[in-house]
Amino acid sequence: MAFSDINFLLLLLPSLLGALFAILVRPFRAWVGWLNAFVSLLGFAAALSFGARAVSGIEASVFGPGEFLRADGLSALLMVLVTAVATLTLFLSPGLGPETRYDPSQLRRYHIFINLFIAAMLLAVVANNVGLMWVAIEATTVFSALIIPLRLTKESVEASWKYILIGSVGIALAFAGTVLSYFDFVALSGRVENALNWPVLRATAPLLHSEVMRISFVFILVGYGTKAGIAPMHTWKPDAYGESPSSLGALMSSALFAVAMYAILRWKIVVDACVKGHFADNLLLALGMLSILIGSFSVVLVRNYKRMLAYSSVEHAGLICLGLGLGPLGVFAALLHLINHTAAKSMMFFLVRGIELKYGSPLIKDVRGMLRVMPWTGGLFAAGILALIGLPPFGLFVSEFALFRAGFAMNHPWLMGVALALLAVAFVSFISQLNRMLYGSVPEGVNSAEVDGWGRMMPLFVPLSVLVVLGLTLPTSIVALLNRIMEIVSK
Amino acid sequence: MNTDLFAQLSALGSSLALLAGIALLWRRSLDSYVQAFKWQSLVLAAMFLMVGYFGRDPELYAMAVFFFLLKVIVIPRYLRRLQQRVGAERESQPYVNIATSLIISGLLVLLAYAVTRPLVAVSRLPTRGALPLAMGLIFVGLFVVVTRRKALTQVVGFLVLENGIALLAMLGTYGIPLIIELGVFLDVLMAFLAMQVFVYHIHGTFESMDVEQLNRLKH
Repeated sequence: MAFSDINFLLLLLPSLLGALFAILVRPFRAWVGWLNAFVSLLGFAAALSFGARAVSGIEASVFGPGEFLRADGLSALLMVLVTAVATLTLFLSPGLGPETRYDPSQLRRYHIFINLFIAAMLLAVVANNVGLMWVAIEATTVFSALIIPLRLTKESVEASWKYILIGSVGIALAFAGTVLSYFDFVALSGRVENALNWPVLRATAPLLHSEVMRISFVFILVGYGTKAGIAPMHTWKPDAYGESPSSLGALMSSALFAVAMYAILRWKIVVDACVKGHFADNLLLALGMLSILIGSFSVVLVRNYKRMLAYSSVEHAGLICLGLGLGPLGVFAALLHLINHTAAKSMMFFLVRGIELKYGSPLIKDVRGMLRVMPWTGGLFAAGILALIGLPPFGLFVSEFALFRAGFAMNHPWLMGVALALLAVAFVSFISQLNRMLYGSVPEGVNSAEVDGWGRMMPLFVPLSVLVVLGLTLPTSIVALLNRIMEIVSK
Repeated sequence: MNTDLFAQLSALGSSLALLAGIALLWRRSLDSYVQAFKWQSLVLAAMFLMVGYFGRDPELYAMAVFFFLLKVIVIPRYLRRLQQRVGAERESQPYVNIATSLIISGLLVLLAYAVTRPLVAVSRLPTRGALPLAMGLIFVGLFVVVTRRKALTQVVGFLVLENGIALLAMLGTYGIPLIIELGVFLDVLMAFLAMQVFVYHIHGTFESMDVEQLNRLKH
């Protein structure tokens, strides 16, 4: 077995084993969760090793019959993001410590589906065939939707229903788009079994009919855009993030979002090779601006802090779309932004869990004097919000700066001006919401003590330090990996 | 001669499938929704056989069998059981009334013809004439999901949308590669089963399936 084959197994097996353990051991025991968390480190190591291979100049590793798995630089970046958040999530999952909110059967269900969810996301980024990629992404909808109503309440049922319905319908449209591309391929050169393998599709793209690929891309963008929560297909997002357990929220807002953007980028590369002009770019710019608009203004009105993070996700989805539509420099900035956003959002959702437990309310108006009640949680939360609105010394400042520079370089000064103004709106409203939560008189009955011990707090300094490091410098390894991806994008 | 017959049969089958989709817009009882879906799936399964025969692709026979088992036998049975468990609520007040719905579905089919013009121009398959009907079915399915108020009728709308995509793949490419198709079947089944769980949850927590009541989450 070649080295890369073992790597593929190491990547995918930990989450599948995790699901298997959770199925076999009943009732749920804490050691299953711990074992699961430590085994998931192997997946992270495998992802890093794929990244190192890409940096060292290996174009892509393939695996299995018909080369159904394939990992190039772009897949490697996504693997690293997904496995990093997955590992963090599994270490901070309910059920590892003393837990009072969920009973053992709920914990077992959680561990089964969260692992399947992670496995489906990893499969989506290493699938060679874009049809298989679709199958995996659709599966993520089902697995994650089943975790949202872990505790049955009217709200959680409502959120999960909206999520699974909008998600399934949206993703079905992405499949229609995939079918249309395959249709075009068949019309050109007959039925070929591996026509939907990405490299084959990419190589054939210049010959495909641009009119058909345009229609196909519209379907694909709407479909995967629904999964990514790009406006106007974002309506499920605040509900689902607001009602899901925090650890699922962390995975959905960072990893799943990244996977959906990855699917859009994969298809954009194919469509750009086929359709002349800026067709895909312009669509992405339009949806990006709309997302930033809706995201920023919703933060003004929002009353629930988890939903506030969801609207921030809509805004950042818009920024990343904008970047993808702004040529090579923009794509570089968008991917950097994706890394930063993943780090920031995963940290925020774990902090939110502590806030929710302490104040017993999801509403911003009930959370007062957080800095006095929980100095560490409050401090980290403030740092996260400052990072999300793009202040230095955090990574999002650098990637947003790069993004706007790309926009001006591509001669879109007006668009960039409007986007900057909208970011200013988000900036002001985030600061005022944050102020309300950090200061003020502590509500009665709330005692001053951190909810989480150091064991749970320490892991959150990992994403924070990633944000700070990326804000102060661009490590050569990341630049090298992004440059490999730029070769794929602009080949 | 054979090609003519093939073209006519595919147009006929697609029209029937589209008609069954539009039938959802004027029927109200859940039972008729399930019936319409079942008949539509039956037509599609028969079309898989037909395309397999004329297109000389035995893989499609296998597809026809899977399709039949999943969408004519298994899913309608689950839908019935679901309907018995939660009670036969009628889709009494959709967001858009029947007359308007029918006019809109006519417009959607027109739109489908406009959208698929490049597809029909590119393809050389005898089935190309029916492509707009498949696209029309996709749009109608989407419209049903958006305008129905009962959780169960929304599920049927989703299934009809899926049928539309299957029809598009069948007419445009004589079926996508089998391995992907199987993955899609698995996904549809999982999504359906998950939705079924949620319909029970909605019924259990709200004591109704009216998604109108799902309005607690704002701001």
